[in-house]
Amino acid sequence: MEGAADSDTPVTERSAADRAAALARLLHRDCTRLLELYKERESFLSQHAPGGERLVTLALCPEALSTGEQVGHVRSALRRCMGLLECLIVREVEEMGEELEGEYESLRKTVRDRLGHLLHSTGALLEEGEGGCPPSPPLQCTEGQDEVEASGSFAAKIWTYRVLLELIHWTDSASQTLHLFHSEKHGQQQQLL
Amino acid sequence: MQGWVTLALLLSLGVKRSLTQNGLGEPPVPRGLTSNPDLPAQTLSLRWQSDSSLFDLEIFHTELMNVVLNETVAVKADPVTGLHSWTWHSPLPLECTSLSVHIRARNQLSVSQWSPLQTIPGSDIPVKSESYMFPQDKMVPVGSNMSFCCIVKEKEDFKEIMYGRQEMNATRLSRRTYAITVTNQPASGNTGTNVICFSQRLTLTGAVVFVGYPPGDEGLVCETRDLASAECSWKKGRDTRLRMKRSRTKYTLNGRDCLEANEKKTWWCSSKVWEENWTLVARNPLGTVQLTDSAQLTDRVHLLAPANVTVVEVKAWSATLQWSWSVAAYKKLEMVCQLRLFTHELSSTRNYGGPGLSSVVLEGLWPDSDYTVTLRCGSKHSFWKWGDESGPYRIHTKMDRPDALDVWMWMDSSNTGCVFWKPLSVRKSHGALDGYEVSQSSAEEDGWTTVSLPPGNFSYPIILNNSSDITVAVAARNPAGLSQPSTVTTPAYRADSQLSVSELLGTNGSFVLSWEPNVNASSGYVVEWFPTGCSGLCPVDWKKLPESDSSFTVNSDSLVAGVRYTVSVYSLSTGAPLLLQRWQGYSQEMIPSQSVSELSPNQTGSDVLLSWRATDMKQQRGFIRGYTIYLANAAHLDLIANITDPEVQSYRVKGLSLSSYKFVVKAYTSAGEDAGATVAIKMEMDTDMLFVGILVPLGIMFCCLILISICCYKKREWVKKAFYPEIPGPKVPGDWSSPQGPLDVKPSPHSLVHIVESPEWDFTKEGLFPVPEEEEESENDNIEVDTDSDEPALLRYYNQVVGDGSHSNQVSDSSGSSTASVGSTQTEITYAGIQSPTSSQGVCGGGSYRPQMQSVAGPKIEFEADFQDDGLNTGYKPQGSWQLDSPEAENLSGSLGSPTSVTSSQFLIPECSEEKPQPPNTWFHNLLSGKS
Repeated sequence: MEGAADSDTPVTERSAADRAAALARLLHRDCTRLLELYKERESFLSQHAPGGERLVTLALCPEALSTGEQVGHVRSALRRCMGLLECLIVREVEEMGEELEGEYESLRKTVRDRLGHLLHSTGALLEEGEGGCPPSPPLQCTEGQDEVEASGSFAAKIWTYRVLLELIHWTDSASQTLHLFHSEKHGQQQQLL
Repeated sequence: MQGWVTLALLLSLGVKRSLTQNGLGEPPVPRGLTSNPDLPAQTLSLRWQSDSSLFDLEIFHTELMNVVLNETVAVKADPVTGLHSWTWHSPLPLECTSLSVHIRARNQLSVSQWSPLQTIPGSDIPVKSESYMFPQDKMVPVGSNMSFCCIVKEKEDFKEIMYGRQEMNATRLSRRTYAITVTNQPASGNTGTNVICFSQRLTLTGAVVFVGYPPGDEGLVCETRDLASAECSWKKGRDTRLRMKRSRTKYTLNGRDCLEANEKKTWWCSSKVWEENWTLVARNPLGTVQLTDSAQLTDRVHLLAPANVTVVEVKAWSATLQWSWSVAAYKKLEMVCQLRLFTHELSSTRNYGGPGLSSVVLEGLWPDSDYTVTLRCGSKHSFWKWGDESGPYRIHTKMDRPDALDVWMWMDSSNTGCVFWKPLSVRKSHGALDGYEVSQSSAEEDGWTTVSLPPGNFSYPIILNNSSDITVAVAARNPAGLSQPSTVTTPAYRADSQLSVSELLGTNGSFVLSWEPNVNASSGYVVEWFPTGCSGLCPVDWKKLPESDSSFTVNSDSLVAGVRYTVSVYSLSTGAPLLLQRWQGYSQEMIPSQSVSELSPNQTGSDVLLSWRATDMKQQRGFIRGYTIYLANAAHLDLIANITDPEVQSYRVKGLSLSSYKFVVKAYTSAGEDAGATVAIKMEMDTDMLFVGILVPLGIMFCCLILISICCYKKREWVKKAFYPEIPGPKVPGDWSSPQGPLDVKPSPHSLVHIVESPEWDFTKEGLFPVPEEEEESENDNIEVDTDSDEPALLRYYNQVVGDGSHSNQVSDSSGSSTASVGSTQTEITYAGIQSPTSSQGVCGGGSYRPQMQSVAGPKIEFEADFQDDGLNTGYKPQGSWQLDSPEAENLSGSLGSPTSVTSSQFLIPECSEEKPQPPNTWFHNLLSGKS
């Protein structure tokens, strides 16, 4: 099967990996901007040093060896981030309603959509021959809230801040990993030619 | 004995004290003190048992034993349980730090012992080692005061507490607890106000407070849309500033949740049944508002919009409109409907009434017109408000025949004219016109001759072949038919010259006309106006007036400023229109647009006649009131004349000297002068007058000379005696062969004696210089000749120091005798100004005068010898002293008594003529002697 795909598949994979890497870079910028907007709203966060454990850990998957496995690893983390982001949106809409339609709310929706696209595109990459971690169990929104030390609006703000940090971290990782993945694929293609 | 007494006293005291502690004197200690904290409400409920009703309460911060409350309260026991209860509202959250409470009973005389301390543990106890902040997510009204506390994590230091962006002063309550108090809190933002507790290195913890307002809704009004249910609406009041879902305002209407308002964020509620009394409760965490309304259902009918509006029949002047109702109950409702018509920019409303109204007939529409209709209805009885308005519905009415045209006939000559008609407006055409039909007939011909014209034509030329009048009928045609024909009969042509045309002055750009009523004007009058002098397709305008009118104002809209109009008034009757009056005038006069033409100057002697022609009427732009004539100087115009008679078109400028002149002529109207026409002229000498001026004086002088000559001739004897007496002949001692005659002294033609004044000389002395005649003029500037002196130069004597070299040079060309005389520096000589003859005079000259009978042989040599002799040795001899005995004196005696020139100071009678002695009978002598 791999031999049959030699003539066409590499080009498709290369372009798909390239597009996924570009999307990850774009998403990383979006997440960075989203955090800036959140800090403008909650000014105290500019002096806040995040503490505690990461919300998204690597324990879901053993240390990756190959680049393809790293892509799967990152994808698992992004899935976890996606779950946290959706919880965040639900919680904020629950608290504030949907009448607030500022730049933060608009970009928040954009990040969610693009993160979904990135998960889809990286999933497509993994399905074409690359291994990956087993899918993480779906995240329950209550689970996210339990992770903060206290309840209440302040704790929710801290939690939101940490979720946004996780998004920035993992979209950056995804960008780098997918770029490496694309480079390796491109090198293999060059050797084949 | 004494020992027993002492024991007894001690016992008695002990008993007394025991009695007091047991309630006899001192109230018993309250029992069973319990505390029940309400953390969200920040209240502490205390309960205890006691027989007293007055108690002292003390509350401490447990760690530092700071007294928070020390108060005496009167609390009665509950009759059922027998317990005393009292609630304390803490300014600080109860979690901030541990509190200790004790209580004692009090009566009027004494107090009991304090009860054991009852401690309420805070969150700063060692088992809770994390950081905390209280209260969390509190909602408070704007302007309230509030305290926050921060419990610092174990082994962490405290830095500060920030309220929003404001750093607050913190108070320490315990080892780990710090508190702040915020006063007069402002409204929060969308996500509340953050209160953050910081350590030196990180954010410890925080809380959010929501500061807002209680509900401010108002104006509850309930109405029915379907004559059964109710819809209640109100106005949202002040923004509560509470955005969180749990803190939003919740509404109930008559005790039922208002889903429309609570979920859809609207400000109305519905109810399936009408209730006459309505109560709306608006509630949020900060307060409650209650609104009420009360009304009968029939008083609050708000109809829905009519549905399916359509036109069932459209005519030219009317249309029938029909609609339906979506609520069946409306069909029996007595209602009033308002229909609004929009056409172009205009709108009108019409009201119709009836039960369950569902159709109306729209009258008074215009044919071939677009209308847009909207409709709304309301309950006729106890009208509450207009119902919803229907959507716009478009109607286009049908066409109808046009209205009759406004026709007039204008004659521009006795047999040519033009029929004019005014274009029909949209309102009068009743549909797009297809054209016009012009029919004409004359009295001598039977029937009508009809011509069809396209719709763009508004005139038709008429030619009268004979003297009979022509009647013209004009009708407009559109798809719906032909209008009623409008007829007009040719009016008699009357040229302006045949009439006394009055001058008409405009008033504010209009013409205000009035005329004497005419009894023959059975059909009224026509006022006609057009630009004067217009030919061809003239913009003729007119206005037909009823017979009752005898005045009219031609508005400025149809007039152009600066254009002369001819305005005529005709009376209308069954026959041809009859001209009653005619004017010419300007609605507004302007300055002429063009200057006078053909301006020309004509010099007559020292006068200049300016003449010009007036500008054309079109350029006059006003009645010419006169002309002004200016003399143009370098920078300005000098007014010479103002001619107020516009018929005068020339002007004579008199008494001008020989120079160049520039004249400007300006015509002026009541609006002012035009730019002016300029003409220049250079005044020249009149040759005829020049001749006259020269010849007349010459003639007069000639005549005078003739008269003087005649007179002198007649009186020659007297003249001779007076001016030329007989000169006695000289007594000659010797023998003189030559005949005697008067001394004829001829002035030297080349040497004159000039008397000069030299600044270098002594002013007391003057010199005598012989000056060449040809240099006389050139030296006049420097040498002043005393020609005006009355004193004969002959008799003047001058003393002069001679010897100046420059003077010698000046006279270098003079005769030798003169040169010798001037050049002499040896002798100061006084002599008479008798000119010495020059060498060119030959024998007539010499170093000195010689007797006339002297030989003429060898004159040149003799002259030179004399010259040398006199010049070098003797010089001039004194001539001023006459010695008749000396030969020289005798020689000179011949010149004495001879007339001398007043200018040359020489004897007029020459010494000799040519080389021969002149006989005494000269022409003058002959004249005086009467010889011819």
